[in-house]
Amino acid sequence: MNAVTIFLKDMLLFQRRLLRLGYVVSTLFAPLLYLGAFGLGLGKRVVIAGTSYLDFLLPGLVAMSSMTNSYTWVANSLNMGRLYYRTFQIYLQAPVAPWEIVTGQMLAGVVRGLFASSVILGLGLLLGSHLHLNGVFLLGLLMNGLVFAAFGVVVGLKSKSHEDTATFTNFFILPMAFFCGTFFPLEELPWWLQKLIYLLPLTHTNRLLRTPDWGMETFISMALLAAAGSLCVALSILIIRRYSE
Amino acid sequence: MIVISDLTKYYGKTQALEGLSLEIGPGEIFGLLGPNGAGKTTCIKILTTLAFPSRGGARIAGFDVVQERAKLKPLMGVCPQEINLDRELTAYENLWFYGRLFQTPDLSRRIMDLLEWAQLADRAHDRVKGYSGGMQRRLLIARALISRPRVLFLDEPTVGLDPQIRRQLWDMIRQLQAEGITLMLTTHYIEEAEMLCDRVGILNKGHLIALDTPGALTARVGGYVVESVNGFRRRYQLVPDKDAAYAQARQEASEVVIRRANLEDVFIQLTGERLSP
Repeated sequence: MNAVTIFLKDMLLFQRRLLRLGYVVSTLFAPLLYLGAFGLGLGKRVVIAGTSYLDFLLPGLVAMSSMTNSYTWVANSLNMGRLYYRTFQIYLQAPVAPWEIVTGQMLAGVVRGLFASSVILGLGLLLGSHLHLNGVFLLGLLMNGLVFAAFGVVVGLKSKSHEDTATFTNFFILPMAFFCGTFFPLEELPWWLQKLIYLLPLTHTNRLLRTPDWGMETFISMALLAAAGSLCVALSILIIRRYSE
Repeated sequence: MIVISDLTKYYGKTQALEGLSLEIGPGEIFGLLGPNGAGKTTCIKILTTLAFPSRGGARIAGFDVVQERAKLKPLMGVCPQEINLDRELTAYENLWFYGRLFQTPDLSRRIMDLLEWAQLADRAHDRVKGYSGGMQRRLLIARALISRPRVLFLDEPTVGLDPQIRRQLWDMIRQLQAEGITLMLTTHYIEEAEMLCDRVGILNKGHLIALDTPGALTARVGGYVVESVNGFRRRYQLVPDKDAAYAQARQEASEVVIRRANLEDVFIQLTGERLSP
């Protein structure tokens, strides 16, 4: 019940911000730039893994948009709400359980991630890209949003300043955007780096979105995403339980 | 209603609150008075479950503020020092979301009643970012009342407001007491503590240095003050009555002011410092 209330409040705020053009442009600018520059520039001239570069790139950009938007919305809103606007404290002083706060925030992050990735997906399809939009694809996208929204909750709760959030973004989110197979196949990287990158969640979302078929690899990727999400949720609940100013 | 025992809070090696013990009865307006950094907000944070104490504890309506938070929260309302309303939402929406968190029955009616009480009904559907400071404060108090709390905490409820709005809020607070709510407020305004509070606790550097009714506290230091002004120097002398004040004034070569003693004088007497710089 309280998770739904927290989610609804964030959705209302999201809806109001959506009406501001600058906000939408700044949110979608980076993935649209990549889609325009790489997708159209290299598009059909370059072939990667047997497909056109646009077909290769689009699932990666969809996953990346979902990741950055789910994460950023939650991390920033929690961080600003906790340190500057003090709206987060309302939840702590009301009869709301930690898991309800985490769930409400995560759901809001997922919606925002899905919104951004849907815009990229739509534009990519308009540009002539081909995708397998099936259950695995959608489930992978949903899980990706949940994982990074949960990571956003951890960062939003642990950051000591707004700059701290940017540091987490620069050291965790940005490297994942570039190295987890968004722009080029992992096989191009040294073997040891491939092993390391295999542990990162975006790698598995990219795999699920590029080859959305039911098989052992798919189950392993989903299990790893679920494990990463569960770890972040457990950590968030623990942080809220121990929260003290 | 509120029992505080040996409440202590350290931030690293900094002592914010040391061994605070006091009791607040049902229906009382209790004020914590002290300068900035005295430990007032720290005390409120612990009582309203935002911070854990380093030592000691407190019970509100019989519930422990650390161990029984879930049972305690529905019984209390909190009006923080900072205006933590959602500025992009309307007054109605702010109360609606907050009321849902408390599972308030008949929520729409309760919201409109509170907005009427706070004289904000005509602006119910305007976004809060367009409200004046006084309107935001009134909405903040209305929000704290949504769950019909038995105890209301007000942390510096009138800070930054002009005197007219401040008096309006005092009337609202007195009205709440008349409805049977126990109120604990912090302030560094002397007049506020004197006008509103049944009893006052004076905090300085984390220590409770005095606790009594405003009248008893001022009587303790003497009923009158003779202030003599010599250039930029101002001297205060506490005397027991009006006659003693006149006698003292006649001895002064410089200009003098005779006035009744107030809680600021109590603070000066106890600490040697002024309450507000």
